[in-house]
Amino acid sequence: MKSVPMLSGAFLQPAGQSLPEPLLALRNERAAALADMPMPTRKTENWKYSSKYLKLTEDMAATLPATEKASNLDVPGYRIVLNNDAINRADSQYPDQGGISVQHFSDLDADDASALAQKLGSTLDAEQTQFAQINSARFENGLLIRLGANAVLDKPLFIIHETAATRNGSAFPRIFVEAGTNSQMTLVEAYVSEGDSAALVDTVTEFQLADGANITSIRLTMEGETVQHIGATGVLQQRNSRFESHCVGFGGPLRRHDLQVRLEGEGAETKLNGVVVTQGKQHYDNHTSIDHVAAHCNSEETYRNIAADQSHAVFNGRIHIHQDAQKSNADMNNKNLLLSNGAEIDTKPELEIYADDVKCAHGATIGQLDETSVFYLVSRGIGRRQANVLLTMAFINELVEQIPVEAVRDTAQARLNDFFDQTFQEA
Amino acid sequence: MLSIKNLHASVEGKEILKGINLEIKAGEVHAIMGPNGSGKSTLSQVLAGNEAFEVTEGEVTLNGDNLLDLETEERAREGIFLAFQYPVEIPGVSNLQFLRTAVNAMRKHRGEEEMNAAEFMKLAKEVSKQVDLDPAFLKRGVNEGFSGGEKKRNEIMQALLLQPKLAILDETDSGLDIDALQVVSNGVNALRAEDRAILMVTHYQRLLNHIVPDYVHVLAGGRIVKSGGRELALELEEKGYGWLGIKDEDTSN
Repeated sequence: MKSVPMLSGAFLQPAGQSLPEPLLALRNERAAALADMPMPTRKTENWKYSSKYLKLTEDMAATLPATEKASNLDVPGYRIVLNNDAINRADSQYPDQGGISVQHFSDLDADDASALAQKLGSTLDAEQTQFAQINSARFENGLLIRLGANAVLDKPLFIIHETAATRNGSAFPRIFVEAGTNSQMTLVEAYVSEGDSAALVDTVTEFQLADGANITSIRLTMEGETVQHIGATGVLQQRNSRFESHCVGFGGPLRRHDLQVRLEGEGAETKLNGVVVTQGKQHYDNHTSIDHVAAHCNSEETYRNIAADQSHAVFNGRIHIHQDAQKSNADMNNKNLLLSNGAEIDTKPELEIYADDVKCAHGATIGQLDETSVFYLVSRGIGRRQANVLLTMAFINELVEQIPVEAVRDTAQARLNDFFDQTFQEA
Repeated sequence: MLSIKNLHASVEGKEILKGINLEIKAGEVHAIMGPNGSGKSTLSQVLAGNEAFEVTEGEVTLNGDNLLDLETEERAREGIFLAFQYPVEIPGVSNLQFLRTAVNAMRKHRGEEEMNAAEFMKLAKEVSKQVDLDPAFLKRGVNEGFSGGEKKRNEIMQALLLQPKLAILDETDSGLDIDALQVVSNGVNALRAEDRAILMVTHYQRLLNHIVPDYVHVLAGGRIVKSGGRELALELEEKGYGWLGIKDEDTSN
């Protein structure tokens, strides 16, 4: 089936109508606004390196059928399992703690739904996140997580998105987090899949952090070879709030994540870590954007890409320091490791600075494994394969170790070990 | 133990070693001296198996087996150890992890059981004391932020852990103050054994006051131009390389 130059109207047709009225109205409104949306091409600036990987056929527009299957991911703490974005209550364990509510959109009363409809999408720059707009026209089973003032979730909350690609289709997971004053939570989003039909997983996750809120967000993307994943995360931070993000992604036919943070209150802090590993003919594109709107905010961003075989990784990091954001402190660092001559990495820092009293540092490098280091290791009897593994792991170790949830580290490490087995053969 | 016959080697098409002949027996300590650019470091690198150097002629055997046919890691497992002139910094790999991986690669090669983390930690702490390195260094990245002296002590520590048959020390004395030189020398002397040979490559003879060699060879222009006992080193100290008709292009380092 041929690719569509304009977004097919079929992608704007939701399957279910089981949402409260204000959310249905929002969906319809967004669908109408998207009626003439062109598909990104290589001339679309923010899709320049990635549009060629986007292959949506009309038969992928249908919502993937609801299934119910227990997750294979063994995770401690609270968990919500979504199979093709359908709620699997039997396999889920919801937090039961005062001041904290986790609700599916379909369970909201009219007032809450109305308030939510006002906020959905407010954390994202609509022009830069076309697929988040499609999600807004299509979401079915979103999650609303609300932390009251001073509420501290005692264990990490895992949201496990299991895609069963049993036939061609798509899913549109949505999460909205409202973190009250001085509240705290660790949220883990895990995206996995099975089946080998062509699927689109188009996700949006939004965080609103009130004064002093402290949120850790972990995102693990490891779906299969037939799933195109396009995700957007939007973050709004008020005074003295702290947001920490750890994104670990393994490549696929198309992988895209937009992460947009707006520091709107003085003293807000954000730390964005990212690790991407691609192999075969895989792709992964991270677009991050940090807006220093208020003064005295800190941002620290560290992304690492490793590309093997003929794979392709992209990093685009934008920092925008607004005119009033004096005493901003921004540090962005992107290092890239090419493990084969056929691999490609594109990295692009974008700095826009309109305030005069700021500290803003950025650095980007692309390199290969250092032969001198390999020689040093093998001269001690360490096999060449193991030397390559040690040095590749060294490139991302610091970021993996910083992930504050052991189960995530273990899952990522197991997947990394598979990558090493496939990438570095024994001599 | 080690037999080098008519060894020629080049780097990027330029011939550096032009016919080296050298026999080293178990238990012996040999020193190779020579001015900068004479090929001392090239010889060390070629023996350890650095692929940047191409052997164009000659043969090298270790206990009768052809060394040049072996990959770098196989040479190490057969007992060749090179203490680097410039040890490599590898952030992200802890010294402990590096050392344990190396020791276990050797043990596996010998058909011995691998050491677990706790067993190895105990061993590593003992050996680090022998070279006066704070065990805190074990947790740091390999050579990461180490001073020149600390790097050299880390090299000797590796030799003590790996127990090679032939230890090649490439300018191990360079950049050491007198106290560090003493520590490193004690480590090297602890390596001396009847079944082990040591080959020291050095520009200056001061190291030889601490580690007394059985034989001294002078390398110049890619060939060994003179061999003798340890008195040869003293003679060089006194008279310089010019005495042998060798131009020492740079003695400043």
